[in-house]
Amino acid sequence: MGLVSATLLRSLAPICLLIAIAGLVMSIGEPYQIRVAYIFFINLTAVFALQIYMGGTGHASFGHAAFQGIAAYSVAILMTPLALKRLLIPDAPFGLAAVHLGAVPSILIALVLTGVIAYIVGLAISRLGGVAAEIATLAFLVIVHVIFTNWIELFRGPRAFYGIPSISNLYWGLGAAIIALLIAKLFRDSPYGVQLRAASDNLLAARAMGVPVERLRLLAWTLSGIVMGMAGILLATYLGTIAPSSFYFNQTFLIMAMLLLGGMRSVSGALCGTLVISIGSELTRSLESGPVIAGIDLPAMFGLTGFFLGAIIVLVMSFRREGLLGGEEFEDLFRQWKLKRKSAADETSADAPAKQEA
Amino acid sequence: MEYFVQQTINALSVGGEYALLALGLAIVFSIMNLVNFAHGELITLGGYAMLFSAAWFVSDPIYLLPICVLAATGAAILFERVAFRPVRNAPETTGLLTAFGVSIVVQNALLIFVATRPKPVPIPDWMQGTIQIAGLHLPMVQVLETSCTVVAATGLILLLTKTNLGLAMRAAAKDFTVVRLMGIKADRVILGAFAVSGFLAGLAAVFILARRGAVDPMMGFSPVLKAFVACVLGGFGSLLGAAVGGLSLGMLEVLLQATLPSEVAGFRDAIVFLLVGAVLIWRPTGLLGKRVELGDKE
Repeated sequence: MGLVSATLLRSLAPICLLIAIAGLVMSIGEPYQIRVAYIFFINLTAVFALQIYMGGTGHASFGHAAFQGIAAYSVAILMTPLALKRLLIPDAPFGLAAVHLGAVPSILIALVLTGVIAYIVGLAISRLGGVAAEIATLAFLVIVHVIFTNWIELFRGPRAFYGIPSISNLYWGLGAAIIALLIAKLFRDSPYGVQLRAASDNLLAARAMGVPVERLRLLAWTLSGIVMGMAGILLATYLGTIAPSSFYFNQTFLIMAMLLLGGMRSVSGALCGTLVISIGSELTRSLESGPVIAGIDLPAMFGLTGFFLGAIIVLVMSFRREGLLGGEEFEDLFRQWKLKRKSAADETSADAPAKQEA
Repeated sequence: MEYFVQQTINALSVGGEYALLALGLAIVFSIMNLVNFAHGELITLGGYAMLFSAAWFVSDPIYLLPICVLAATGAAILFERVAFRPVRNAPETTGLLTAFGVSIVVQNALLIFVATRPKPVPIPDWMQGTIQIAGLHLPMVQVLETSCTVVAATGLILLLTKTNLGLAMRAAAKDFTVVRLMGIKADRVILGAFAVSGFLAGLAAVFILARRGAVDPMMGFSPVLKAFVACVLGGFGSLLGAAVGGLSLGMLEVLLQATLPSEVAGFRDAIVFLLVGAVLIWRPTGLLGKRVELGDKE
């Protein structure tokens, strides 16, 4: 069985789960729930993207939210109607104030641009390796944020960029999440992914076997940057309004907590972590505004979601480093469960005749 | 001439501040391979300790300064006991992410229980003024900060070279197992490292607060990001590298501040990081980092 068909077969269960969620929400959900489900799909796409890099290399990346921002702003600048752009960014450089493209070319250009930037940044990051690379990703996030907030002619600075045509709906989110899932799974099981994971377990041994570690890191970084770009495009084309703060620390540690909770070494873990934290943060969001529960008027507690996300990261890292799924995919867990049941059955059948003899 | 001296002392004080923070990061990293992302929260907690003691029992702001340093030292020791002990022998990325989590928890706890907006902290008046040295008017904060950095760095060198604890700490950076075989308690060495790093962060916090005059939950992030970059620039884990990286980063920043035209001044941090990135492409292990082959033991 080829890699592609095997991956498709193995991804069937999670894909069905995602389709079921989307179908359920579309058929019975109110607009608010549809919005929550859409945000879930955006974050899911982003977490799959982060998994491609972090799961492959074993290095943390704090910079991925920047790719989301780059793609979102590219789409925003290309797709917003000219009349509105004259109002928002009249002095845009490179004649961009007079450019207006359709949805498909805008999205393609945004993805290509994100990929090119990811490649260039990746050239530096893949060479560094280890702690220095992790801090470099953080510096990258800050650089991009500084550019967004200070290049007022092009990005409107810290103010929101609004009026992006809201052309996407829940099925876009579903589609993007499924594509991201397939890319992440394909990469993980491809020879490249296996070699890269081997290098993250034992760099010396992998190098000795001739694994081109830097090249593979660069590949994983660029690929995950492009998938992250999809998440950014989803955000821009659904909300219609973006601001630099949407692509900074809050987004970084949200997707980081989601990935770590499920376990960064597997795509299934990414899915589980995102599901659990999405549900959990909806609950804490309602607590944050200070609701009345059982007659007690709770005070408004801004920062509660962040507090829980931080606590989740600390607890997972201290007590279950590999995350909820322990770095295994669903199909691995299923196979282990079947094996355990089989060996348990064998033991009882082997015991039975022995007892009869006695 | 006066402008030049003023800018030099400014550069030295900013560089000194980064060096203090970077030294604290490097001393912890060299011993237990932990990238202490929560280092900035030591500054923040020092600031909040000043805020609360000023509100409750301290009337003269001069006593707030030692309180800040003590609080940062205490917080560093507390973080080690509560959060970093379970991940002591874990891979680097695990420790880094734990510290990242701790930093988010502290920031948001302050958001929940104190306030989202900055709160003013009383600072002794004489720290805000200027001082006259050889006919030149220099800001007091900058002169104090530069001299404090020199004193602290000398103290650190004495601690590391003249005491048993310092010897153990330096040896632990090379090979912790052998240090433990010599009968030295691992807990004590690590506690010492955290206490030193907290003390240095507390010193830096005093000057950071003297400049901003207010505390807010996110205030620790920006200086510590610079300290991280300084560590990477100098070569991660090397103490000398941290000091050199911190000083050069601070000088570069002041140089750009003084020379950049106002329309691009907002991009200063981005330009600084890009320049550091260029240096790292030239020397991936940092200015003073040694190129270690895989599998080598020093």
